[in-house]
Amino acid sequence: MILSLRLAWRNLWRHKRRTWLTALAMIFSNVLLIFMISLQFGSYDMMINNTLRAFSGEIQVQHEGYQQNPKLRSSIPAIIPLALELRSILPDAHIAARAAAFALVSSEQRSLGIQIVGVQPEYEPMVSTLPGMVREGRFLQDSNAAEIVIGRVLARNLKVSVGDELTLLGSGRDGSFAAGVVSITGVFDSGSSDLDRTLAEVPLGYFQDTFAMRDHGNAIVVAVDDLSAVPSALVAVQKEIRGKKGLTVLDWTQLQPGLKQAIQADMSSAWFMYGLLIILVAFSVLNTQLMSVLERTREFGVITALGIKPRKLASLVMLETALMALIGLVIGVAIGWMIASYLNIAGFHYPGMEEMAEKFNLPDRVYPSVTFFSMILGPGIVFLFSLLAGVYPSLRLFRLQPVEAMRAV
Amino acid sequence: MTAIKCIDLCKNFQQGDVVIKALNHVSLDIEEGSFICLSGPSGSGKTTLLNAIGGLDKLDSGEVYFNGRRVDQLGKGPMADLRLHYIGFVFQAYNLIPVLTAQENVEFVMQVQGVSVKERRRKSSAILEEVGLKGMENRRPSQLSGGQQQRVAVARAIVSQPKLVLADEPTANLDSETAAQLMDLLRELNQHHNVTFLIATHDERVMRYAQRLIRMQDGKIIADELQEAD
Amino acid sequence: MKSLPVSAMLRLAWRNLWRNYRRTVVMLLAIAVGVWAMIFMSALMRGMVDEMVTNGIDSLPGYVQIHQLGFRDDPSINNSLQPPGPELLGALENPLVAGWTSRVRVPAMISSERDNRGVTLLGVDPAGEIAVGFDLDNIVAGRFIGSPQDKGLVVGRKLLERLETHLGKRVVVMSQDPDNNIADRGFRIVGVYKASLEGQEENFVYSGRSHVQSLLKMGRQVSEIAITGHDYRAVDELLEIIRAASPPGSEVLPWMELESYLYGMMGMMDGFILVWTIVVFLALSFGLINTLMMAVFERVREIGLMQALGMKPSSILYLILMESLLLLLLGLLAGNILAIASILPLREGIDLSGVARGMEMFGAGSTLYPVLDLHDLATANTVVIVLGLVTSLLPAWHASRYSPVEAITKI
Repeated sequence: MILSLRLAWRNLWRHKRRTWLTALAMIFSNVLLIFMISLQFGSYDMMINNTLRAFSGEIQVQHEGYQQNPKLRSSIPAIIPLALELRSILPDAHIAARAAAFALVSSEQRSLGIQIVGVQPEYEPMVSTLPGMVREGRFLQDSNAAEIVIGRVLARNLKVSVGDELTLLGSGRDGSFAAGVVSITGVFDSGSSDLDRTLAEVPLGYFQDTFAMRDHGNAIVVAVDDLSAVPSALVAVQKEIRGKKGLTVLDWTQLQPGLKQAIQADMSSAWFMYGLLIILVAFSVLNTQLMSVLERTREFGVITALGIKPRKLASLVMLETALMALIGLVIGVAIGWMIASYLNIAGFHYPGMEEMAEKFNLPDRVYPSVTFFSMILGPGIVFLFSLLAGVYPSLRLFRLQPVEAMRAV
Repeated sequence: MTAIKCIDLCKNFQQGDVVIKALNHVSLDIEEGSFICLSGPSGSGKTTLLNAIGGLDKLDSGEVYFNGRRVDQLGKGPMADLRLHYIGFVFQAYNLIPVLTAQENVEFVMQVQGVSVKERRRKSSAILEEVGLKGMENRRPSQLSGGQQQRVAVARAIVSQPKLVLADEPTANLDSETAAQLMDLLRELNQHHNVTFLIATHDERVMRYAQRLIRMQDGKIIADELQEAD
Repeated sequence: MKSLPVSAMLRLAWRNLWRNYRRTVVMLLAIAVGVWAMIFMSALMRGMVDEMVTNGIDSLPGYVQIHQLGFRDDPSINNSLQPPGPELLGALENPLVAGWTSRVRVPAMISSERDNRGVTLLGVDPAGEIAVGFDLDNIVAGRFIGSPQDKGLVVGRKLLERLETHLGKRVVVMSQDPDNNIADRGFRIVGVYKASLEGQEENFVYSGRSHVQSLLKMGRQVSEIAITGHDYRAVDELLEIIRAASPPGSEVLPWMELESYLYGMMGMMDGFILVWTIVVFLALSFGLINTLMMAVFERVREIGLMQALGMKPSSILYLILMESLLLLLLGLLAGNILAIASILPLREGIDLSGVARGMEMFGAGSTLYPVLDLHDLATANTVVIVLGLVTSLLPAWHASRYSPVEAITKI
C-alpha cells in the first residue's frame, strides 16, 4: 500500500503542469463553493433570526384555522393561565400571550387602518425585538393602561409623536362596536418599513377590554434560543394542549411559510449552480486521467506483461485521482476557510444589498457561517465527483491487451 | 563558388558536471552543388554542426555565412524565412506532419511560401513521381513505410529548390536496401537539380556516395577529403 | 511576412483537433454544458426579474408617476394634485407615452359583516387604467369599474376570502376627508380580480374616481398621475418630457425610485448574470488550458519540424489559437442549441407553486417564465470566445517558444 501510494504520488508529478491545472480547477471550485455556501447559510440564519425574533417567535399556540384566516373570534380562552402553564413546563423558553385585531386609528389629522396587537408588557420584550427598538418614549408597562406603541413610519403618516392621543375604531369579538382612546408612550424603529407602517402594540388587558375579548387571546408565542431547540419544545407544547379543544401548535415553518419557501427556492437555484461547477470539475478530472492513462498505454502494457493484474493498475489510477482530489480539497478548504473566516468578522456586502436588506429586514452586511458543515459540504462533493470521474479511465485498463499496448507509442 | 562558410564555430553543452564541447573551433567551406557526408561516431558534433548551419540552434561563438551573408545572428523570424527559402531538412525520423497526406506534406513549405495552388499541385506531383511515390499522394504518414516516409521528406526538402539540404542520419531507420535506394535518389537529385547536400551519418554505406567526406571527432574536424563517388 | 494561408491553417487545426477525439469530446461536452448553464440560468434570472418588475409596475402601475410633493412621505388625501392642465396634457400626447391615467389613492379600512382590513382605495378612470396596463382578463368574477362615476367596488380574490364576503354583497369603506373627518360609505362588490401576488389582491380595491372624489370631498383633485411608456428599462426620455410639463409643487419620479427594491434587484441580477457567466467560464478555463497544453506537449516534435521547415513562431501561435477557436465554436454551437432547446419548451412557464409564498417574498409570482434575452446570449458567447482565446494564449505562446532543436530531439 505504501509502495503504491509512493508510485501514485510520483506518477502524479510526471506532468506537473497538468496535475496543478486540474488541482487548480478543484481549488477554484472548492473556494467558490465554500464562499457561496457559507454566505448562503449565513444569510439564511440571519433571515430566520431576524424574521422570527422580530415578531413571530419560533412556535405559537393558536386556535385552529387562525393562521390561515386570522380573525379575532378564533381565540384561545383563559390565555394568561395557559401561558403560565406553558412557562412552567418550558422553563428555558420565553413565552408571551397576544391578541390581534385590525382597527382604524385616527390622530388629529389622519386616519389609517392598521393591525393592533395586545401584548403582555412584562413578557413581550423576551419574545420579540420590537420593544427593544423603541427609540422615543418607552415600551408599555401596565397591562391595563390605555397606552400604545407605534412604528416610526406610522407615527410619521399619522403626524403624531410621543404623548399624543389616538382613537381606535374597530369591531369587538362579539361583533360589537369597539372604540377607545389611547396615548402614545413610545415609537419603535425596527428598520422594516412593513412593520413600522402597519403595526401598533397595546397592553393585553386593555385590548381584551376594548375588543370584548374577556379572558381570550389569539396566540401564545414561544421563543427558544436556538432553532435546534424547536422540535423538543414543540413536542412539549403539543403534549400540554392535547386536552384543549380547538387549539393547535405551529412551528416557524408554518408561521412563516414564505420564509421557508424563499429559502427553498434560493436553495434550489444555488444547488443548480453548485452542481454545474462540480460537473465541470469532474470533466476536467476525467480528461486529465483519461490522458494520463492513454499516454501510459505502453508502460501499462509492459507492466501487465510482467504479470501485474489490471485490477492493480486500475486501483493505482484511482489512487492517483484520489491524491489529486485530496490536494484540491486540502488547499481549497484552507483558502476557502480563510476567506470565510475573514468575512465572518468583517462582513460581506454587495451592490443592491441595501434594497434586499430593507425588504427582508436584514442588516446590510452578511456574515458567512463558518461551521465544519459549511466548510466541508461543497469540497466533499467535489471530491466524490472527482473520484467518480476517475472510474472510466481506470476501467479502460481492464481492456488492455499487453502486446498491442507495448507496440503503442 | 562557396555557398556556405563557417568560421571558428564553438558550442558547449552542460551535461551534469561535465562540459561537452560539441563544436570546438570548427571552420568549414561548402561549395555549391556539392554532395558532402559528415561522418563520425555519435556525440562527435555532427548534428550540432547541421543545426548550427540550419539556424536551429544558437552558437556560443563563430560565424556562419550564407552566400556571403552572415546569418548566425539573425532573429527567430528572419531565420525562419531563411530556412523557408534556402534550406531543406531531412531528419532521422518524425519528418512528416501526421495529419497531412504525403502530397500536403510536400506542399507545406510551398504553402508557407505563398505558391499558388496550381503551381504547388504541379510541382508536388512531379517531385513525388520523381521520388517514386506516384499513386501514394493521398496517404497519411502512418499509411507509408519508413522508406516511403523518408522519400516524402526528401521530396519536401527539395521541392522548392533550396540552395542546401541538411540531412541528419536520413537512413538510420531503414534497412540496407531501402537505404541504398534513398541514397541513389539523393545523389540523383543532387546532380539533376544542382542542390547542395550535407548529410550527417555514421553509416559506412552512406559515406560511399559522398564526393567529399568530412570526419568529425570530439567536436573537431579530423579529416576532410574529396573522394571518387561510386 | 509570409505564413501559412488561413485555409491551410484551418485545415491543419481541424485535423489536429480530432487526433485525440476522446479528449476533444470531453472538452466539447464541458464547454457545451457550461454554455448551456450560462444561458439557461440567465434566462431563469431574467425571467424572474422581468416578472418581479412587471408585478411591481402592475402594483404601481405606471413607469413614471406624478405626485404632490410630500405624498411619498404622507400618502394622504391632503397631498393631492390638480388634474392635468393643458401643458401636461400636451406632453401626454407624446408618442413615448403609451398610456396614462390619473387616480385617487388613499389608505382606507374595509369592513364586511365578518372582518375588517386595512387597504388602499383607488378611485380610477377605467379607460385610463386599461391604457396603463390593467388587464380585464384578470377579472375572475363580476366586472371591472365601468366609468369614473361607477359606485361599485372591485376587490382582490384574496381580500374577498379574508373578509368572508361575496360578489354582490355590501362592505363598508372608511377613510378620511381633507378635514380628517371619517368618511364612510357602503359599497357593493361588483367585481373580483386576481393578481400574481397575493399581497396585491389583499391591498388594492378599485372604485370610480368621481365617486371616490365626492366621498372624500376632494373636488377634482387626484392623488397621482401614472404614465406608461414602451420599455420599462428606458424611461429617462419619458421622464424628462413629463417633468418639463408638470406643474410646480409636483414630484415626477420613475418607477426605479418609487420601487427601489425592484430596481436594486434588477441591477443586482444584471451583475449576477455577468458574474455567473465568468465563474462558469473560469471553471471551464482550467480544462481548456489543460487540453491545449496536452495537445501542444504531445506535438512538440511536429512543432519543431514546422519551425525547421521555416514556419515562424507567430504562425505556430496562430495555429494553436485556431485549434482552440474551433473547439470553442463547436462547444458554443452545442451549448447554444442545448440552451435554446431546453428553454423553448419552458416558455409556458415553470410551476413554482410549491414555493409560492417564498417567491412572493422576493416579489415574484408562482410561475417562472424563462426569458431568452439576445443580450444574455451575446454575453455568454462573447465571454466564452474572448476569454477562451485569451486563456489559450498561454499554451499557444508556450508552443511558439519551443526552440526547434529542443523540440526535435525530444522523444
